[in-house]
Amino acid sequence: MKHILVIDDAATVRLYHRGILENAGYSVDEAINGIEALEKALVKPYDLFIVDVNMPKLDGYGFLKEFRRQDDALQSPAIMVTTEAGGSDKQLGYMSGANLYITKPIKPNELVNYARLLLGETL
Amino acid sequence: MNSLLEQFLSEARDFLQGIGEKLMQLESDPTSHELMVELFRFVHTLKGNSGLFDFPEMTRVLHASEDLMDAVRNGRVNYSQKLADQLLDAMDFVGMLMDEIEATEKISNKHAAPAAELTKALRNLLTASEAGSESSEIDDILNEITQTQVAENSIDWESLPTLNLPEDIAEQLHAHSLRGDSVFWVEYTPEADSFFKGEDPFYLIRQVPDTEWRNVVLNSTVENLAEMDVFNSVASYQVLTHAPAEELEDLFRYIPDEHRRIEIPALAFVKPSGNTDEHAVDEDFIANVFALFDKGETEEVTRTINTMLELSAPDLWSSSALRWVLRLIEREPENKAAQRALLESLRTLQSPDWSELKPVETVTTIATAPPVRNAVVSTSNGSNSVVDEKMQYFNEVINAQREILNLSGFNEGRLKSVGASLICCYKSIGRSQDVDSLELAIKNALAENSPTLLLKWLEHSLENAPELVVAEKIPAPVNNLAMQNDVKFGRRAEDAAGRKADEPNAVTASKTLKVDQEKIDRLMNLIGEMVVAKNALPYLAARAETVFGVRDLSREIKAQYAVINRVAEEMQDTIMQVRMLPVSFIFQRFPRMVRDISRKLGKEVDLVLEGESTEADKNIIEALSDPLIHIVRNSLDHGLEQPDVRIAAGKNGTGKLLIRASQESDRVLIEIIDDGKGINPEVIKHKAYEKGLIDEATLERISDQDAVNLVFAAGFSTADVISDLSGRGVGMDVVRSAVEKVNGTVGIESEVGKGTRLYLSLPLSMAVTNVMIIQSNKQIFGVPMDMVVETVRVPRSQIQSIKQKQTTVLRGRIVPLLPLNDLLASNMPQLPNENDEFATLIVRVHGEHVGILVDDFRETVDIILKPMTGILGGLGGYSGAALLGDGSVLMVLNPRELM
Amino acid sequence: MAIEFKKSLAVFTEFVSVEEAEGLLEWLLKNPKGKINLADCTHIHASSLQVLMAFKPTIVHEPKDADLAIWLKAALAS
Repeated sequence: MKHILVIDDAATVRLYHRGILENAGYSVDEAINGIEALEKALVKPYDLFIVDVNMPKLDGYGFLKEFRRQDDALQSPAIMVTTEAGGSDKQLGYMSGANLYITKPIKPNELVNYARLLLGETL
Repeated sequence: MNSLLEQFLSEARDFLQGIGEKLMQLESDPTSHELMVELFRFVHTLKGNSGLFDFPEMTRVLHASEDLMDAVRNGRVNYSQKLADQLLDAMDFVGMLMDEIEATEKISNKHAAPAAELTKALRNLLTASEAGSESSEIDDILNEITQTQVAENSIDWESLPTLNLPEDIAEQLHAHSLRGDSVFWVEYTPEADSFFKGEDPFYLIRQVPDTEWRNVVLNSTVENLAEMDVFNSVASYQVLTHAPAEELEDLFRYIPDEHRRIEIPALAFVKPSGNTDEHAVDEDFIANVFALFDKGETEEVTRTINTMLELSAPDLWSSSALRWVLRLIEREPENKAAQRALLESLRTLQSPDWSELKPVETVTTIATAPPVRNAVVSTSNGSNSVVDEKMQYFNEVINAQREILNLSGFNEGRLKSVGASLICCYKSIGRSQDVDSLELAIKNALAENSPTLLLKWLEHSLENAPELVVAEKIPAPVNNLAMQNDVKFGRRAEDAAGRKADEPNAVTASKTLKVDQEKIDRLMNLIGEMVVAKNALPYLAARAETVFGVRDLSREIKAQYAVINRVAEEMQDTIMQVRMLPVSFIFQRFPRMVRDISRKLGKEVDLVLEGESTEADKNIIEALSDPLIHIVRNSLDHGLEQPDVRIAAGKNGTGKLLIRASQESDRVLIEIIDDGKGINPEVIKHKAYEKGLIDEATLERISDQDAVNLVFAAGFSTADVISDLSGRGVGMDVVRSAVEKVNGTVGIESEVGKGTRLYLSLPLSMAVTNVMIIQSNKQIFGVPMDMVVETVRVPRSQIQSIKQKQTTVLRGRIVPLLPLNDLLASNMPQLPNENDEFATLIVRVHGEHVGILVDDFRETVDIILKPMTGILGGLGGYSGAALLGDGSVLMVLNPRELM
Repeated sequence: MAIEFKKSLAVFTEFVSVEEAEGLLEWLLKNPKGKINLADCTHIHASSLQVLMAFKPTIVHEPKDADLAIWLKAALAS
């Protein structure tokens, strides 16, 4: 089974993403900020990350930047999900190490399709 | 109500409360940026959450609030009482909507109008405060328009600095630029504290090569000269140079943030200057020139202008413009538009706005990646909309990867993630055949530290594979995802749990974590303190019973102690595990060392290492390093013979040296075995006698084994000539004391002519020591338990005096008895118990059993032994001190040194 | 010392380092009409340059170093 880490400070968003992804047959873990995400991602290899931008302690950019610096970590794809406002920046997202940058709220079938693509499974 | 909505409502209420609290805090601390950022995040997240549902009224109000807070956070709008009131109103409204959702799971449409009003009020606050008080929408439109122009023009004229150059310099730079030398405008604003970093910004800027123009300005006017801080950098340095970009890059590579480099297009230099008060050219002249210009009679235009220039003062603006026209005709004959614009400027005496002109010359701009051709989609199967949709997803993700690969700067992790994404995408659309070459491209790109190869692969793949076939099979779950908000989350969670359970490799892959050694040491110290702290509980239990007389409590404390004790022990074990190092850590240096030494000695040695993966605590391993090296040198030096001697003795010319590590219960055993000449006990005996280490009687009686053991005696050195290899006068006694320091033992067995076996036995770990507490002369001491063989009570009647020494016979063996008080140089006699028996500690010292008479035995405890430092450090007879659970200090004896 | 302070004239020679800036500032505060001779100066640390820019004293001799002369002209122009 593929493992996905959903990183978002909003419990509602995590629940939403988890619901969609688990229904599509994936195992989902959650992290509430970049620090927690790092702690988890450095211990368990994930096949995909769904990353929010604006989070306390360590935001999505910070998490990706730090994670992409880890030599021995499995550099799995990351989808950065953000609301349009809030100083988010696609360029910065890509620089930090996101592989896709999409705007919230994301429709369930969109999320599943992106996930399937980035996990190497047929759409 | 579904669980997602429930979750939303409960989280949203928390956010509303949080927002209220933050606003209150801002009232008392209205400038706190931290509060503003947090407030923004709350509103932002709440809006994001609401967007998951179809509550447009709520989302709209929250969106406006978010924008407002964004502006506040960025300092574009000042926080005010009015703003806070407005935001609180908005939040009350959102709270009201949530009540309604909770009751009816929807929002009635009667709220549309109030929502719109609130939104407007919030927006007004935003626009009223912002500069220019233009509506932000208008700004957006304006921005869009400018951006479009920029895109067409390829040059971001807006961002160019305003240049007011003398004409001669401008003219030169224009020529450089047209020649293809890029002209850069470099602005360097050093950080205020740059002088403290030893920088000289002025020196640095003077190093810019090919500078054609320079300027330096103070960023703030110095109001009061007397208070000027000469150590604060307050200037900005600007130059125009046609030096190569790489050189500039190099020059400023340590301060990328403090400088700005902009390439200036040639036309930007075409800017007439001069006196505009006088009009040398009139409309007739201009019309005339235009007529000739339109007819294409360039030579006539040139001649006419030259005539006019001769007639007019050179410092006029019009003269300057005319000279520029001539230069353009000469240098950019094809750029009629520019020439025309310049001629046109003679009428207005305003420099042409070059941003409105589409330049002819090619300006280097970063080529923006063309989007993936849509042909890919249409050629596959136009009628199959499912395929089309799939390919849209594919294209979108692929385009993102291309954009990422085009980013400047190399980042290994980023490249790897792009690689992983591409592999997955290609697999996903059924093009597994491409994956091999893709993986190769990734590998090569990583090897080159540049994304170029991967980018090339991608471009090539997309160009050559218009037929990209999409796998036909569509997995059911995706299509059936009628995922509206009312999905049943509960059931799905169960499903997921079920799947997780029969997924065996859910948490299989383990990862290695690199941890700083200091952190492990700290953990070790902490668990040490924990063990000590835990030891306070038995004291407490005893006090509860004896002092306070609460027996039940005492029992409960003891029960708790048992639990804590177990956990602490497990923790200790785990931390010990982490600290374990394989002996290969020290073994690895031996092959080289043995080779070098044997070569130097002219000996031939075959080194065999065994049990390299045996582990021990890192402190033990580290402590082992020096003694082991000493032993190996000794073996090479004194043990193994020269090849001819060996052959004469009937042995193989090549000697054999075996270093073997193994684990024996809680100890590590290290053996160093050679097949050399062995140790002759006769030689040792006589040598020891000569050096006065043994008396004549001993010389007569000593067994061969005991004689061999004499090599460990202090001041003994076997080689007649001290070789420069194995120790300048230091013998095996040094090895022994080093090993004993970490509670190890060392032994030797030897057979003349056959070889020698030296063995070290060391504890696996040395962090926590189990000691027995004994009492003597009204004081308590600790004795390491691993030295204690047994405790016995010896009746006074059983003690015999042999040669003034007290002894007793224990199980048919004579055991010397030493009163602890004597060992500690106190004159007090040991105290027997009521049956006239002496508490006797039988300890093993150098293989011998010795009895130490004490006054009484107490309990055994785990302690963290700290070596003594300072003046006490020089005190013999003690291995260290430890803190006891009741806070008192326990001195731990070292019986070996005491005797 | 790369700056020699006389009664109303400061003579800069060769490489004026960061240590000279405070002295220069003090001297210019004491001698607001003090003049500067830069003839034999080859470089002025940015700190002293800033002091010159703030005070704009009269330069009696431009540096012989052509590049420094151009820079100073720009710095002290406005």
